[in-house]
Amino acid sequence: MKTYDPIVHEAASGAVKETHADPITTEVVRHALNSAANQMKHALMRTAFSPVIYEVLDFAVALYDKDVRLLAQAPSLPMFMGTLDFCIREAVTNVGGVEALEPGDVLLYNWPYGTGSHPQDVAMVMPVFDDEAGLIGYTAIKGHWLDIGAKDVYCTDTVDVFQEGTVFPGVKLCARGEIVRDIYRMVVANSRIPKMVEGDMNATIVAVRAGGIALKRVFQRFGAETFWPCVEEMYNHGERVVRQYFESIPDGTYVGEGILDNNGVQDHPIPFEVTLKVEGSQVTLDYSNSPPAQGGPINCPVPSTLSASRVAISMLAGFGEPPNEGMFRALTVITRPNTLFHPLPPAPCYLYGWPALQAIEVIYNAVSKAVPDAVPACSGGCILGISYSGWREGSGEPWADGAPHPVGQGAWNGGDGGTMLHIAESATRFTPLEVWEQRDPWITERMELAQDSCGPGQYRGGPGIDFEFRFTEQINMTAAIERAHNAPWGLAGGGEARPNGASLKYADGRQRDFSKVTRLAVPSDAVFTLRTGGGGGYGPSNERDVERVKADLRNGYISEAYAKKHYPHAF
Amino acid sequence: MATRIGVDIGGTFTDLVFFDEDTGQTREGKLPTVPSAPEQGVLNAVREFVPPEIIAKADYFLHGTTVGLNALLERRGAKVGMVCTKGFRDVLEIRRGDRAEMYNLFWQQPEPLVPRYLRLELDERILFDGTVHRPLDEAAVVSLVKQFNAEGVDSLAICFMNAYANPAHELRAAELLREHGFTGDISMSHKVSREYREYERFSTTAIDAFVRTRMSSYLQRLEEGLVGMGFNGRCLIARSGSGSMTFAEAGERPFETIMSGPVGGAQGGSEIARSLDIDALITADVGGTSFDTALILDGQAQVLFEGEVAGMPVQSAWVDVRSIGSGGGSVAYKDIGGLLRVGPRSSGAVPGPACYGKGGTEPTTTDAAAHLGMLGPGKLASGIQLDFAASEKAIGDVAQQIGKDVLDTAVGIMRIATSSMANAMREITVEQGLDPRSMALLPFGGAGPMFAILLADELQISKIIVPPLAGNFSAWGLLGADMVQSAALTRIMPLNEESLGETDKVLAELFSELDARGEISDPALERLANLDLRYVGQEHGPSIPVPLAGSKLAASSAEIRSLFEEDYLRTYGSTMEFDVEIVAIRATNRIPLPRREHAAPPVQAGAQSTWPAYSFSRGEYIDFDVIDRSSIGDEISGPVIITESTTTLYVDADWSVRAGSKGELVLTRGAAKK
Repeated sequence: MKTYDPIVHEAASGAVKETHADPITTEVVRHALNSAANQMKHALMRTAFSPVIYEVLDFAVALYDKDVRLLAQAPSLPMFMGTLDFCIREAVTNVGGVEALEPGDVLLYNWPYGTGSHPQDVAMVMPVFDDEAGLIGYTAIKGHWLDIGAKDVYCTDTVDVFQEGTVFPGVKLCARGEIVRDIYRMVVANSRIPKMVEGDMNATIVAVRAGGIALKRVFQRFGAETFWPCVEEMYNHGERVVRQYFESIPDGTYVGEGILDNNGVQDHPIPFEVTLKVEGSQVTLDYSNSPPAQGGPINCPVPSTLSASRVAISMLAGFGEPPNEGMFRALTVITRPNTLFHPLPPAPCYLYGWPALQAIEVIYNAVSKAVPDAVPACSGGCILGISYSGWREGSGEPWADGAPHPVGQGAWNGGDGGTMLHIAESATRFTPLEVWEQRDPWITERMELAQDSCGPGQYRGGPGIDFEFRFTEQINMTAAIERAHNAPWGLAGGGEARPNGASLKYADGRQRDFSKVTRLAVPSDAVFTLRTGGGGGYGPSNERDVERVKADLRNGYISEAYAKKHYPHAF
Repeated sequence: MATRIGVDIGGTFTDLVFFDEDTGQTREGKLPTVPSAPEQGVLNAVREFVPPEIIAKADYFLHGTTVGLNALLERRGAKVGMVCTKGFRDVLEIRRGDRAEMYNLFWQQPEPLVPRYLRLELDERILFDGTVHRPLDEAAVVSLVKQFNAEGVDSLAICFMNAYANPAHELRAAELLREHGFTGDISMSHKVSREYREYERFSTTAIDAFVRTRMSSYLQRLEEGLVGMGFNGRCLIARSGSGSMTFAEAGERPFETIMSGPVGGAQGGSEIARSLDIDALITADVGGTSFDTALILDGQAQVLFEGEVAGMPVQSAWVDVRSIGSGGGSVAYKDIGGLLRVGPRSSGAVPGPACYGKGGTEPTTTDAAAHLGMLGPGKLASGIQLDFAASEKAIGDVAQQIGKDVLDTAVGIMRIATSSMANAMREITVEQGLDPRSMALLPFGGAGPMFAILLADELQISKIIVPPLAGNFSAWGLLGADMVQSAALTRIMPLNEESLGETDKVLAELFSELDARGEISDPALERLANLDLRYVGQEHGPSIPVPLAGSKLAASSAEIRSLFEEDYLRTYGSTMEFDVEIVAIRATNRIPLPRREHAAPPVQAGAQSTWPAYSFSRGEYIDFDVIDRSSIGDEISGPVIITESTTTLYVDADWSVRAGSKGELVLTRGAAKK
């Protein structure tokens, strides 16, 4: 296999421009841009057809300037936030470059090595024109479409990208404001659930247009001579915020270590490391030591490698602010082509998100080696994506649904972990059980916090959850679960937590355990058990406050046996 | 007409307004809130400001209170136990898995209102269609009662899965809990809401159980106090979803009042819009710490069906009032990256803005306004004399940090605060597919009139209506709160004629449930209905008002579909060819209070002076006239500062102002036409 030299990526685009924009107007412009992104998000959520959009929020909406720098992103899926710039650049290049763009155009693009995702994550890009100034920026949405004709509705076992869905290589879905019917029909024709995809495609068009109108309004309100300097100053501000944080981290090189359970096709563990280098306020994340690209779909294309890096860094150093391009300027990422974090076509990448999630935890693991109390211990470390599909008994209608599930969060110096979705999906909500029962053929038998699933410590991790679903019709199920073989780690002496797991119990009593499985045919009356992992503990457990141990016992988060084992000082 | 008294309890002040039908006049008063015994604060205000003969002849007492809300915020309520379906006691704690602050790695979920050890399970299960999957384990109830009693639980929330579709198990469990000796209050999830989404419904039920005892005893004490003072009319309290309800009903359904704080203003806005015949009005309620905005279309505030309070969802109607942390007390500072920021932190009542001279040293928007002369010479009605030097010093500190002079910084503080308020207003209108430019602006609250022109300029609005008693407008709005009851049921079915027959049956049930809730039989009773509709496959959809004849639908499915599509087209710009389905059916009883006749008070001659203030349109200090509101009659041109007892109105050059026919002031762009 050919080996490549590492490639250095600056995480932010465009040159840094010094401006003298005043700190007052800049703040006004920043507000207006964030508000415009919110309007776009709202339009998408209210009109979408798929629960993956309106409930799981498996999308990102953002505004970019004409140089494809992030102006604002509405609260949506953080994992997508670093990838939309790639989508815009690639989509625009593929339709013939900026010169080929006209007002009212909407581009469709989903080539995984350019979007960073699997093909289901379809990007829609709309150039925004001002009558006088010409092109001023772009609105972009990348959202998960429930099915676009991969080998299965969701896959954990693909061996090349062509099994993963229809490819839209950057085409005009709308030209000068009119839908291009031929393209539209091609999209719909390639889905197992055409109505849902059609609905979501329309919703996305509504939203990129709403964003375009909103961005244009902001631009026109301030005028080019005020708007552009303020935008530059906004980026410079974002950069200063992040750099101040890293100034406080001691210079040095820190290696974070992680491990993936398997690649979905071959069952062997895949250890990997990410090296964090801090020099002053400059941060480098080096993935060049990664294992080779895998024969199963857990390869993470470059845009998502950058995104994972950006998410980890801006969550840590962004002081809770919504991100913009400037926040990424302190960051450099190094990857080596043909490896896990830089696969080349046609390497399969359906589960690209799973190594990306692990990378975030591993980056925090590296930070903890510099400053242990700067980060939490490992969380359950996965989104436990489960998807279901089939044909409804009676009507014969095709259907599909899917959801991520909450896990225990890692403890940190000063706080016990809670139970919520992985930080990479921090705005997402999982579906109410009663809504599921209304629309899907199963009964939830149980959803409860799992006793003793949390990592012990002076501060304990959050508990994981036990779910039990009993199917009432025959269905197909795909499960994508990581950290089933590797327990979430504790920090600073804190203990490990329960790993993730899943099993199926058939009506005849047979049982089957799995973590990654595609199109498992499940008969009616089988019971699916999903055990989501806990969060790792922080600090030595013999320093846990006795009152807290007693409260945990009383509330049943831990059993007496567990308490006696980890907290003997409380007895 | 009908004489009425309104009292609104805020964090700092208890505001009173009363309307006397004999004179057609409305009067106001203000006393400090008594946090330890809020009802005493209310009774004190009534005693102080309302003559005994008015108390005796008043037909209505209308009340707005944050008693329930504060109980929640401060976690001072009942010790609540929860009875859950076996396997689901953690719904309340697992929530929906999201984070309120998405970029905060260390965000912690709020403590559940009921701790885990007080959430006990009963074996039972109902399915989504109401069928019984597993029967209720009746024998187990006795041991639950023992445990709850041993723990000293005050009240119980019964929260069963799918109880919205079939309440039989919740009802039976309540009966058995009583039989076995539980004597506290019992809340049941299906009584609170017949809508799906278990976390939202259970959260609301827990809130109900948590505040109920406190709320009902408070209302009882208040009513007794009023009766003791000679009042013999009807006591009503504001609902979160607009309108008002009787004290008796609020004691049973306290969660319906929990988000009623900002509703008085929206209610008043609706009344003003109807009385002045304004199609589209947008409110701007600027208080000390928060800014609230609501849209009034065709004289009605917009109502949503799920809200959130103190980080907990409430599955109940609430007026769509958007709130952001920006107000007269919002503090300006330089952030770590060097930008000037305003809010959301507020200087609060203590120490307050620097210019109030109570020890505040940080610059607030009120300091900026004072420095710019927008508040006039500075004698406020509350007795405060503005300390201009203190404002200048506070703003100066921040000005130096960002490298600007004091004037630029003060102007900047006002612009930043204005822009965040305007963004909230833009979002609430754009989401409905509407353009704020064509609307009228209704500013109120202590600092609303100070921001009115700035907001109108930012949003390119050309008409501003300043209501009567603008500084006390929430209390004023209470006086027009019609009595309202509502109930809803989730019932998903295709929109066709057959379903409409089913809908009529549901409506009949809902209306009879409403009628059974209270004492209300009034010839003026109106029945209203809404259907929540969506394209098949969507989750979200609009709630569409549908015509009724009596309590039955008076429209065909085709007519209802076109009402839906009209709304969808306006909001999203296009419609689709998909089938439409019904998601929920909503029934409302409304008894309009007798209408108030608003008369403009006679114009009084008053002293006039001039005062230098900053003109945003001219970019410099110019002389403003300073006039008392009571002296405004015919249209005059700005620049002018108009003072009244509880607020100050800033009218820049290029605007003009006149008194309207109903006691309001009307501001329009351009010079006065003479």
